[in-house]
Amino acid sequence: MKIMMKLAVVEVKLLTREPGAIFTLLIPLFILVVFGSSIEPGDTVLLPMALAIAVGLVGLYLLPTTLATYRERGILRRMSTTPVRPANLLAVQVLLQLVLALTTCALLITVAGTVLDARLPTAVGRVAVTFLLGTGAMFAVGLLIAALARNGRTANGVGVLLYFPMAYLAGLMQPTDQMPQLLARIGEYTPLGAFRQGMHQVWADTTPSPVLLGVLAAYAVTISAVAARYFRWE
Amino acid sequence: MAVIEVMDLRKRYGDLTVLDGVSFSVEEGEIFGILGPNGAGKTTAVECVEGLRRPDGGSIRVLGLDPVGNRRALCEQVGVQLQHTQLPDNLKVWEALDLYASFYPKPGDWRELLVEWGLQDKRDTRFGKLSGGQKQRLFIALALVGNPRVAFLDELTTGLDPQARRATWALIKRIRATGVTVVLVSHFMDEVEELCDRAAIFDQGRIVALDTPAGIVDEIDADHEMRFTLMAGELADLTDLTGLPGVARVTRTGDRVVVTGRGDFATAVTAQLARHHVLVSDLRIDKRTLDDAFVALTGRPLE
Repeated sequence: MKIMMKLAVVEVKLLTREPGAIFTLLIPLFILVVFGSSIEPGDTVLLPMALAIAVGLVGLYLLPTTLATYRERGILRRMSTTPVRPANLLAVQVLLQLVLALTTCALLITVAGTVLDARLPTAVGRVAVTFLLGTGAMFAVGLLIAALARNGRTANGVGVLLYFPMAYLAGLMQPTDQMPQLLARIGEYTPLGAFRQGMHQVWADTTPSPVLLGVLAAYAVTISAVAARYFRWE
Repeated sequence: MAVIEVMDLRKRYGDLTVLDGVSFSVEEGEIFGILGPNGAGKTTAVECVEGLRRPDGGSIRVLGLDPVGNRRALCEQVGVQLQHTQLPDNLKVWEALDLYASFYPKPGDWRELLVEWGLQDKRDTRFGKLSGGQKQRLFIALALVGNPRVAFLDELTTGLDPQARRATWALIKRIRATGVTVVLVSHFMDEVEELCDRAAIFDQGRIVALDTPAGIVDEIDADHEMRFTLMAGELADLTDLTGLPGVARVTRTGDRVVVTGRGDFATAVTAQLARHHVLVSDLRIDKRTLDDAFVALTGRPLE
């Protein structure tokens, strides 16, 4: 436990020294503030979009890049020669990125709720379940990229390359009702799309569709299993 | 006492035999060299000993432990510097040492290591800003921070300039002085000659020689030459030299004499010259090195 704490402290320091981490925090905030000035009071669309962007950036960009870089630089391998297994480092990283995603979302919700007067949901339990399943699905995709990418640069490139089509299909580039119907329909079943849609539903105080939650859970479980199967320590 | 015992180690990757029956043992407190060209199986052998790779055959004991079965117990007592590893660029020197020290049950004081390895000025410097030599010193310090009984150092001075290499050599000798057994993997002959008490020369997955560096050189059965110039006014009875043990040939061109032979014939020749009161100048003996030994043993030069 002491070692995990030490690892966590060091990894937090490294994260704060990483400019990429600041960007994943600032980009969704920027989008929220820019578009937030023109929303109706009680809006249920913009904030779930910003939250999906934030989680998408952490899951698709920051997580896989960090992990693939650690493997590429032999950090995981070096650690496996010590009494501490490198799996501990992975666990600390995933937890830390989760904390980062949560912090970003908390910041977004605070800004949206106070400054922008956006609607905040009342069903906290539903929000938590949808958020965790969605984050699980996005992190699973990130872990799969980390497992398959040869190095940090590839992971970064693949993450960015996947982010844009996924963000488009999820309705993060333009509202889904302005998208071709077929694409919007497909988008609902992508990890990021199901996440945004689910968050939109809980924001509007409706029960999130069990199909969407099921889709997210299925992505989270199957993709992480594939990632675990193909993950290489060196 | 042997701290490492390797018997008939075998490892294949697909059709490629990387280790083909390698046996050696390392005694407590010595610097043991593992030498050979790239692809000879050195790193694979050491990684099997470290427990990073699982051998296909043979047995390994390190400090009496099986590197695969007793992985954790072994990791607590060995320190490793691996080839091609880095740290996060933004990690500071002291943070790396402090973190790695926390991994071990009885770590050394990393502040002392910082001073000892000349890194105290770099305490707060980030890894990415260190020079090659400083990074290498940090890696050695990290290999020692757990107070290991055995330290493995793999291609320690590759990529360093000559000055930094020599400085690193001096530091390695200091490790031995503290009683830590060192296994040094290298493809530099001069490094092994300078540092190692004993060395194994690897070639194509086998050990082709195992002895002290001087012993390996002495064992090779090849002629070498001793040259000198007779000083004016002295007459030498050169037939006397031909009969000396090890001398094969004596040739004279004017005052210039070349004696060819095997083994330690030069001592006999100089004694004989002294006995006959022959004064010579410009005396040169071709010093054979591990490079020559490698050529003699494998039939080709080390790249």
